[in-house]
Amino acid sequence: MALLEVRGLVKRFLGVTAVDQVDLAVEPGELVSLIGPNGSGKTTLFNCVTGYLAADHGRVLFRGRDLTHVAPHRVARLGVARTFQQVSVFPRLSALENLLVFLQQHQEEHTLARLIRTPRLRRLEVEAVERARRLLDLVGLTDKADAAAGSLSYGQRKLLAFAAALMPDPDLLLLDEPAAAVNPTMINQMKSHILALHRQGKTVLLVEHNMEVVMDISQRVVVLDHGQKIAEGSPDAIRRDARVIEAYFGR
Amino acid sequence: MRRASALAFIVMVVAAPWLVAAAVPRQQRYVLHVLIFTVLFAALALSYDLVVGHVGSLSLAHPAFFGVGAYAAAILATRARWPFLADLLAAVLAAAVVAALVGVPLFRLTEHAFAVGTLGLALVASIVANNWVEVTRGPLCITGIPKPVLGLPGGPTLAVTTLPGYYWLALAALAAVVLLYRRLTTFRLGRAFHAVRDNEPLAGAAGIDPLKYRLLAFTIGAALAGGVGALYVHYLSVMCPEEMTVALTVNLLVIVFLGGVGSLRGVLVGAVLFTALPEVLRLAPTWRLVIYGGLLLLVVVRSPEGIESLLRRASGARAGR
Repeated sequence: MALLEVRGLVKRFLGVTAVDQVDLAVEPGELVSLIGPNGSGKTTLFNCVTGYLAADHGRVLFRGRDLTHVAPHRVARLGVARTFQQVSVFPRLSALENLLVFLQQHQEEHTLARLIRTPRLRRLEVEAVERARRLLDLVGLTDKADAAAGSLSYGQRKLLAFAAALMPDPDLLLLDEPAAAVNPTMINQMKSHILALHRQGKTVLLVEHNMEVVMDISQRVVVLDHGQKIAEGSPDAIRRDARVIEAYFGR
Repeated sequence: MRRASALAFIVMVVAAPWLVAAAVPRQQRYVLHVLIFTVLFAALALSYDLVVGHVGSLSLAHPAFFGVGAYAAAILATRARWPFLADLLAAVLAAAVVAALVGVPLFRLTEHAFAVGTLGLALVASIVANNWVEVTRGPLCITGIPKPVLGLPGGPTLAVTTLPGYYWLALAALAAVVLLYRRLTTFRLGRAFHAVRDNEPLAGAAGIDPLKYRLLAFTIGAALAGGVGALYVHYLSVMCPEEMTVALTVNLLVIVFLGGVGSLRGVLVGAVLFTALPEVLRLAPTWRLVIYGGLLLLVVVRSPEGIESLLRRASGARAGR
């Protein structure tokens, strides 16, 4: 069974059909890229999968469970993590707290227990801090742990958002343009982080414009144009696909 | 050293009635009255800051919750002759229930629409207080609210009849609010509140239900405001509709935003300054409001983030050198 399955998804905004009858399946452990020209519906598809937008038709299944009308915070708690295209952090929380907040909601606990700060909660918190520090080390932000996230550079915030998504150890990771608008060194860094996740057996769905990144690391590429899926296959096959070339460069 | 000075400060605050008696024996009653108001306003401002400062929802409905608590306590204490602690608890619960009920539809609105919606609620509450004469006695006010008597049924009781006694009661209430405020705004709950305030879509991706946390802060803030309302009417022994007008919101906004939104120290400093200052300025009656207005402008211009940011910079500069 596919980990994520999108069936006949349709999303319209007023007259525009942003996502038009898209089918998509991601198997456990796969690294799939979603590409397409600007405005082809990639982010809209992400938003429908993660509960930020309600699809007009079609279904989204995660482990066979219907996510079509599930709120974002519930989707997240089911094990689907996502990042945002516009770098998104909590600016007034420290880098460390940005990571901690991504794990705590996955540890189901009563509000009252949080108010009282039960011993169990304090133990969980110590473990969470350890995990957060390991992830900060991984993305090279060790010395920024106590800095306000809003004071970090663009690239650092991007790495922080990526690390935050990893905090709850998600089963499915949706990354929206992790390599956009950062310098080449950081692109390579990001690439190796994603590959490392893949090697650990994580399932990744990637939206990315940087073709080098997409072609280098994806097992499978799905191409959208004007909301429709126009091609799907291995990076090599996509590179040669006439419809894809037309979508990107015109006839 | 810091611990010692904090302790000294607390001792001073608790001993204030004696200090006042020693320093200004002839104006003792008046000064204590101002102090009681300051303490009650500090507690009310902290309850307000839970909503505006920590989940970032600009509610203008706080007078409504203060009023619900005040009227609940006033009516139960006069007509049903409930003991003080019982009507205090009822005031807290009544305000919380009203907040939870109106919060669900109000939080469907966002940002400015939410502010306007809550303003509407405050106006409606004020109109009801004026016109539902059978219950609130309208502009005739509910009078003869007894002085608080502490104690549980059957046990020993303690009547709070003196000004120092009332000051200490208010101070105990403020201490309780401060403790709850700290518990709510730090650690995991605080982090969740702040995540919702800083970036709501991202909070969703972190598994946080923004509505739940906004409602939680809104309801607890309202419950505390209701409790302060009960203490307030037992102190004044009278409750009138004017106590819950938009003027109260303006006071709270001044205290919270000029003190330091989202900061315990900032809000406390704001409460002391902006409750006591208008009184101190009575020394110059003609120019009183002009000077007050001028000072407000000065703070806004010199330190738009409130007095708290000035304090922080000052202490940071000292530590840095």
